[in-house]
Amino acid sequence: MTDVSSGGVTHHDVVCPFCGLGCDDVSLTVRGNAVEAGEGACGRAAALFRRSADPAPSARVMGREVALDEALAAAAELVSAARSPVYGGLGTDVDGVRALIKLASKTGGSVDHYASTGLFRNLSTSQRKGWIATTLAEVRNHCDLLVVIGPDPSEAFHRLYNRITPPTGRFIKGKRKVVFLGGAPSDEARAQLEGVEIQTIAVPEGELLDALSRLQGLLSDAPAVPGGPDLAALAEGLKGAHYGVLAWSAGMLGGDGDLIVERASIIVDILNVDTRAACLPLAGRDNLIGANQAFLWNIGFPLRTAFRGGQADHDQLLNSTEEALKSGDLLIWTSAFRPEQPPAFEGQLVAFAHPDTIFEREPEVFVPVGQPGLDHRGLAFRTDTVVSIPLGHYRDAGLPSIAMVAKGLRERLS
Amino acid sequence: MSAVRITGGKVLDPANGEVGVERDVFIQDGRIAASGAVGEGVTETIDAKGGVVMAGAIDIHTHIAGGKSNIARLLMVEEQRAIREPAGPFCACGGGLSTMTAHATGCRYVEMGYTAAFEPAVVGANARHMHYEMGDIPFLDTGGYLVLGNDDFLLDLIASGAGQQAVNDYVAWMLAATKCMAIKIVNPGGINAFKFNARRLDLDEANPHYEITPRKILTTLIRAVTELGLAHPIHLHGCNLGVPGNEQTTLDTIAATEGLPLHMTHVQFHSYGTEGDRKFSSGAAKIAEAVNKNPNISIDVGQIMFGQTVTASADLMSQHRNRGIATPKRWIGMDIEMDAACGIVPFEYKDKSFVNALQWAIGLELFLLVEDPWRIFLTTDHPNGAPFTTYPHLLRLLMDKPFRDEQFAKLPKSARKHSILNELKREYTLEEIAIVTRAAPAKILGLTDRGHLGAGAAGDVVIYRDDPDREAMFSKAEYVLKDGRVVVKDGEIVDVVYGRTHSVAPDYDKSMDAKLDRWFDQAIGFKAKTFKMRDHEIRDGQGTVVHATKRSA
Ligand code: SF4
Ligand SMILES: [Zn+2]
Repeated sequence: MTDVSSGGVTHHDVVCPFCGLGCDDVSLTVRGNAVEAGEGACGRAAALFRRSADPAPSARVMGREVALDEALAAAAELVSAARSPVYGGLGTDVDGVRALIKLASKTGGSVDHYASTGLFRNLSTSQRKGWIATTLAEVRNHCDLLVVIGPDPSEAFHRLYNRITPPTGRFIKGKRKVVFLGGAPSDEARAQLEGVEIQTIAVPEGELLDALSRLQGLLSDAPAVPGGPDLAALAEGLKGAHYGVLAWSAGMLGGDGDLIVERASIIVDILNVDTRAACLPLAGRDNLIGANQAFLWNIGFPLRTAFRGGQADHDQLLNSTEEALKSGDLLIWTSAFRPEQPPAFEGQLVAFAHPDTIFEREPEVFVPVGQPGLDHRGLAFRTDTVVSIPLGHYRDAGLPSIAMVAKGLRERLS
Repeated sequence: MSAVRITGGKVLDPANGEVGVERDVFIQDGRIAASGAVGEGVTETIDAKGGVVMAGAIDIHTHIAGGKSNIARLLMVEEQRAIREPAGPFCACGGGLSTMTAHATGCRYVEMGYTAAFEPAVVGANARHMHYEMGDIPFLDTGGYLVLGNDDFLLDLIASGAGQQAVNDYVAWMLAATKCMAIKIVNPGGINAFKFNARRLDLDEANPHYEITPRKILTTLIRAVTELGLAHPIHLHGCNLGVPGNEQTTLDTIAATEGLPLHMTHVQFHSYGTEGDRKFSSGAAKIAEAVNKNPNISIDVGQIMFGQTVTASADLMSQHRNRGIATPKRWIGMDIEMDAACGIVPFEYKDKSFVNALQWAIGLELFLLVEDPWRIFLTTDHPNGAPFTTYPHLLRLLMDKPFRDEQFAKLPKSARKHSILNELKREYTLEEIAIVTRAAPAKILGLTDRGHLGAGAAGDVVIYRDDPDREAMFSKAEYVLKDGRVVVKDGEIVDVVYGRTHSVAPDYDKSMDAKLDRWFDQAIGFKAKTFKMRDHEIRDGQGTVVHATKRSA
């Protein structure tokens, strides 16, 4: 649906690519280059969609404005000379990821997404042991008891409860209940949860893992693990629920996040012997999940994979951007969804990035790129890994896609 | 204009009644041409003397893409590390065997002479992913079968008595939205019932929420695809997969069709009796007899082979039951979007295991006892029974009785006692192999221009060396041409081309649009129009090849 008025064009039902919930009821008004999000957009999305009427900046080499061609030629020289390139950021649509995979397999180097910490906390359980997980619409219709573990994920997934726990669900008899274990809902979350029973169970700082162990003990009739808070009622609630869901945002959990995830998945396994339950692991801003999926089907490994001598290998510690930069000499930073600042780094920097990116220091090469879902079409994945969302094209500001730029760079390499 | 002439080979083209006729085959502009039509224009001549010329092979059931394949890759990281495909002029750095990456999948298939492979389990919510991933598989024409029969919208339609017409409209709407080419049912109603905590669901047992039976779901969907005029019948993964005694469910399912067409997939997993001291026996003879008697039934086997693989299925109810046998000890299940589910369980089939050995024999018994090669298809249900790379070995087992007996003799005595395999004298002929791997799959999928070498057919042609060791013969083709281009020579890949995606789009009453808009808004929480795939999303804007149906849009 599109409305045209003297003030520009308003597009309805726009799909939002940012946090991984994939809301598709956002309206966008476009006047020339200027963009303003309206109805549907959460505060974060409104800020990220907003554009001024200013023309897009041009590409730069050492701070000097140049044509795209020249910037790519300069980037090709740097990449060819690099001993150990590091591909970071990876905030791009599936086509962008595909193009970067081809580029990296040619140049060598490690590849990681800037927001992958939570993903790898989740993978440390799912890959080693597995779990039973679920998707947004299943929670929405089946889940009579949602247990949110740790900090409220809606700080990052703003419209989470609107999407997954409206007061009524197709198969929910009685009142839906949401329990916050070791975290508390924000005011905005409380507003979204109107009509839903809310309970918060405080857990002393750093004791969330112990609390989950105690909950596991209560469910498996193991000897009681001493300490507070009392979780007997929660255990009974989960046993009695038709479809209990344990949700968390792994990126917000602390250093023992991987153990918390593992414990939660074990609790779900135990519950599934007699009733139904599932995990809802939340992670996925800026198409993190899509990048991981495209890696799996093209390369066979998750992110944090490095290419060396035509071979790919995966190591979630060594190939994280942070580790890789310790021995890298060139960072190729790609971030199209938001002006994410690249990490501090002594070596050279090539940035295919959001036009508004503020750099700590001027990159050797900077190419401003378009945003999937605004400047060009694309594909992104939702946090639940199953559903992928088609992103639209709503303005022409002359910004190339990361896929185009990465392909252009690859073609310039001998 | 380009034209290729393949000379001197023995042409095996059962769809056109040619069995080992020595003649030239011409391909012009990517299609098979009549010999007279090409004249002087031949730009390339391939000498096929001493070879066998066939159309490109077609796999009608192989799990090559989508969310569950990626979960399998994630779980099987040791395999991915062990089996890597180095980057070369034609290959990216993929890898894996039971969890092969997209590029490797295309390469390994085409080396064996396959030029089309169909993904049999597209969950609607995952269709977009599936299509993007299939677009990265080189060499193969592809398409997907949409999984229905556990989706809440359909079960609600049936339970509320909305009528056959409404079901037909919904099925057509979903096919158009997901750009699929057939309908698959996985454990009708059972996956849904598991979400309501049922652990098993027999053919005549009611779903705990909707109170309708698998039989009702099955017969309603069989009618829907018949009335919509889809070429491919319902592709059924039946109830009670892997459960001893499920032979009766399978026989009851055949009877439930009342003569309407039905394709039953990986029937090996559905042919188990309960005889003997281990309460596990072969039901192959009974099932084959029923298939022989009912010309409306076709099957693929889902042969198992010994070794490590990973089982990936939409049937979470069964996979949850099987979780204890996971090797290595890890597995992932997912409930999916009011639509279906998935369960991925790594597994190693061991020849020393009584059950696995008997499963192997049951598959082969089915192959040898089903008489009509047009109604049985060569599958391992990749990767569930074994990786598709075991096909050449399987072909030799079917074609070479002494070899088969040799393999059978290696099995534990307890398993051999329960199988009639060594009494079965049949050896598949080359002609029968051409039927089960080419002509029949094309026919049952309605791909009129594939699986044969008549004028106008797709220029997918394979030349095999006529080697008495059939395993060696079918492992590496001498030549493979895709759309008239040589892509394999002497078993090696020499060029890369991409195939197309096939779909159907039967017409539906447009009032279904409003109903689904409402359903998506309220139940799913996003919009029907977001769910619907557009042509520009298929293969960088190429769109699909849309096949005609009785009720065409
Ligand atoms: S909640 Fe997430 S998907 Fe929804 S509008 Fe906000 S950023 Fe976009
Ligand atoms: Zn299958």
